[in-house]
Amino acid sequence: MQAQRRTDLPHPLAGLTVVELAEDPGGEFSGALLAEVGAKVIKVEPPGGAPTRQVGPFAKGEVGPETSLNFWYYNAGKLSVTIDLGGPEAPPPLLALLARADIFICTLQPKALRALGLDLERLSRDFPRLIVVSVTAFGLTGPWADYKSSDLVALAAGGPLNSCGYDDHSIPPIRPGGNQGYHSVASFAHIGVMLALLERQKTGLGQLLDISMHEACAVNVELANPYWFYPRVQVKRQTCRHAQPSPTQPALFQCADGRFVYFTLITTEQKAWQALVGWLDQEGLAAHLTEPEFSDAKHRQDHFSEIQEVVECFFLVHPSDQMYKQGQAAGLPIGVLNAPEDLFSDEHLAARGFFVEVEHEDLGKVTYPGAICRFSSFGEVARTRAPKLGEHTLAVLAETSNTEEDVA
Amino acid sequence: MSETALRSPASAKGAAPQRSRTPGPRQGPLAGVRVTDFCWMGVGACATRLLADFGAEVIRIEDRQRLEMPRRLPIYKGEARTYGEEDANPDPNKGGLFNNYNRNKLGVTINMRTAKGRELADRLIASSSVVTENFAPGVMERWGLTYAHLKSLRPDVIYARMSGFGHSGPHADFRSYGPVVQAVCGISHISGLPGREPSGWGLSYMDNEAAFFNAAALLMAIYHRNNTGEGAEIDVSAVEAGIALLGPILLDVSVNGRSTRGDDFPTGNRLEHPNAAPHGVYPCLGDDRWIAIAVFNDDEWRALVAAMGDPSWAAEPRFATQAGRCAAQDELDAHVGAWTAGHDRHALMHRLQAVGVAAGAVQTTEDTIDHDPQIAGRGLFFEMDHPVIGEALFEGTPIQFSRTVQENWRSAPLLGEDNAYVCKSLLGMSDSEYEALVEEGVL
Repeated sequence: MQAQRRTDLPHPLAGLTVVELAEDPGGEFSGALLAEVGAKVIKVEPPGGAPTRQVGPFAKGEVGPETSLNFWYYNAGKLSVTIDLGGPEAPPPLLALLARADIFICTLQPKALRALGLDLERLSRDFPRLIVVSVTAFGLTGPWADYKSSDLVALAAGGPLNSCGYDDHSIPPIRPGGNQGYHSVASFAHIGVMLALLERQKTGLGQLLDISMHEACAVNVELANPYWFYPRVQVKRQTCRHAQPSPTQPALFQCADGRFVYFTLITTEQKAWQALVGWLDQEGLAAHLTEPEFSDAKHRQDHFSEIQEVVECFFLVHPSDQMYKQGQAAGLPIGVLNAPEDLFSDEHLAARGFFVEVEHEDLGKVTYPGAICRFSSFGEVARTRAPKLGEHTLAVLAETSNTEEDVA
Repeated sequence: MSETALRSPASAKGAAPQRSRTPGPRQGPLAGVRVTDFCWMGVGACATRLLADFGAEVIRIEDRQRLEMPRRLPIYKGEARTYGEEDANPDPNKGGLFNNYNRNKLGVTINMRTAKGRELADRLIASSSVVTENFAPGVMERWGLTYAHLKSLRPDVIYARMSGFGHSGPHADFRSYGPVVQAVCGISHISGLPGREPSGWGLSYMDNEAAFFNAAALLMAIYHRNNTGEGAEIDVSAVEAGIALLGPILLDVSVNGRSTRGDDFPTGNRLEHPNAAPHGVYPCLGDDRWIAIAVFNDDEWRALVAAMGDPSWAAEPRFATQAGRCAAQDELDAHVGAWTAGHDRHALMHRLQAVGVAAGAVQTTEDTIDHDPQIAGRGLFFEMDHPVIGEALFEGTPIQFSRTVQENWRSAPLLGEDNAYVCKSLLGMSDSEYEALVEEGVL
């Protein structure tokens, strides 16, 4: 695979225009995923700016609409156009943008849509080629359609949270970090948009997509769903390992540097067992695990806690990075728990050139994660920073009115 | 939307008449796309499930001698076992996890260790336009299935390669599965209470998310090919996908030099940005029952206080502002938790939502699948029959399309169920040629 990153090839969504009216990371990440592959994404903001500009952290701690790292993360590569969305009618400049757009991403829930005079079904009828993508907390229909949500509330009601936390159940379930409820719904928005574009290639027609964060979370629980579909059992949360119907052994091992590795100690598979003992022995710390009786799986099961103790001690006297690489070299699926700051110096990511530098006038180059997918036939879109508020209003709206005149 | 029913003909639970198990022409935006699918386990199968749901003819290649884990894992009706407790002699057609991941696909068995097996795979690839795989790097190469070879069989082929670390770089051969990916990419580390070991994830979230990105990548490549006639090789690393999901904390680190290894991170259920409080998960009536409550502004706070019956503690000046409430979260959470503990989590959720406070019961899969009126009304879960398992529920796609149809035509294939159909009807093999392959153990 040619993993070098090239920018001289075409982009998969080049030529497509997306209009995004998003007030939360779900809709904004949906738009960002499309910008990443070459779509022109026009972010529509009220004159005061999208609410996500008010959310920290802020660059160098300076609070303001142009320094929100939350905004930067989810809006890189977009254009910003300010339009007064006061209602009660859909503003003509927005309609003019939609008339020329391929995709409209909107995060407003039904009540908010009505207040602004936006009727998504009507937009879908008025602009037959437009793909209207509603990305909301609970969907456009149903008894909870106007319920408020957040990343935590979505993960709770949708189910993933029930599987996450600690062995100690006096501690509540703990939210996995990074806005994963919002990221889950954005993943489906990306898929939905692509399916709708493929549909439009066949029929020439757009449509309305109603995508619910609640449902995206409800299908993003992995084994917990089949465990209920089939044996009808519930899984119970465990510290940093799969929630299960009954308890399993800990999988986090602390290393000499205080950091952790994830390793599932499985004694039932002969090959994995030999790899583990060979590795421990090579470091002179296999203790009595090299004794012949330990080549018997039944004996290992009966003496599991002894094995666990030897392995715990082994990790505790070695640095995490060494354990990660040596364990992998021994053929064991082991992972070091990297912190975000560790990733920038990771030799593998560096060799693949994963991270990209994005120019910010005031700060110089800022490191962002690179494109998620690599294609031999597409170039990577050169990343640009998130737009300043209204930075492209004049240029974009002028383009719109020119076209209208051309058409007229 | 009135078009709801269009989404899945089988969505009316148990009511939809099902067509025969014999494959035929498909509906949906991917109708006409044939996929030779070498994917297995969770990531790959979940990615190609999306293609199969929307009309692609996805042909799973399986190995009779090496049954994949979802076929062996004893997630059976009527038998509760934990992941590690394997069935020594599993019925390959009984596993629920396999059924869950492989609906709407065809299944053939090919022994790729034989020359005739590899020859058969080449024939199938030549008649397909997409090839997918998520083996450890090197496996496909061992069978000669490089992108160059695939292009010689089918010039506009799309070859999707899904792996933990990607197909280049010094760790390309590292072994991984969901929890290892989650560790390495950082999303385990950023999850947990401050000053403790990470709580990380209780599921292979990255198996699902990597699958979704792989599915989207495939759809983008198909879209591009429809426009230009050009195929592609796709390389998606689950670790890199995971890094892209770290969220704004990554920029806090890269721009501000934030350390995430201090005592102030991660923050458990509390939110650093924006300053919301209360923001947490609080106990409710029952064993291990909880509710999530998130208050983002003073209006919501006042509504919560009123719902609590205006307790005197809430009138203390330190709780009057968001900043004050954030600073006093330990006391605030104790007060709120003492109040929620006397309530039913669902009743409380609805009561708080009615006054404009974001609240959600921590729902189990029993709640979401069997009792959640929001999900039930939109038909997310649906039923299909399976010859060995019987009626089973499936997780649908959380997208209501007004036009695009998700055609649920069949539950997962039995082992080798479509061998004859694929060899004879699709590849035009004679009966005698087919029988010879069966006898020689190629199929």
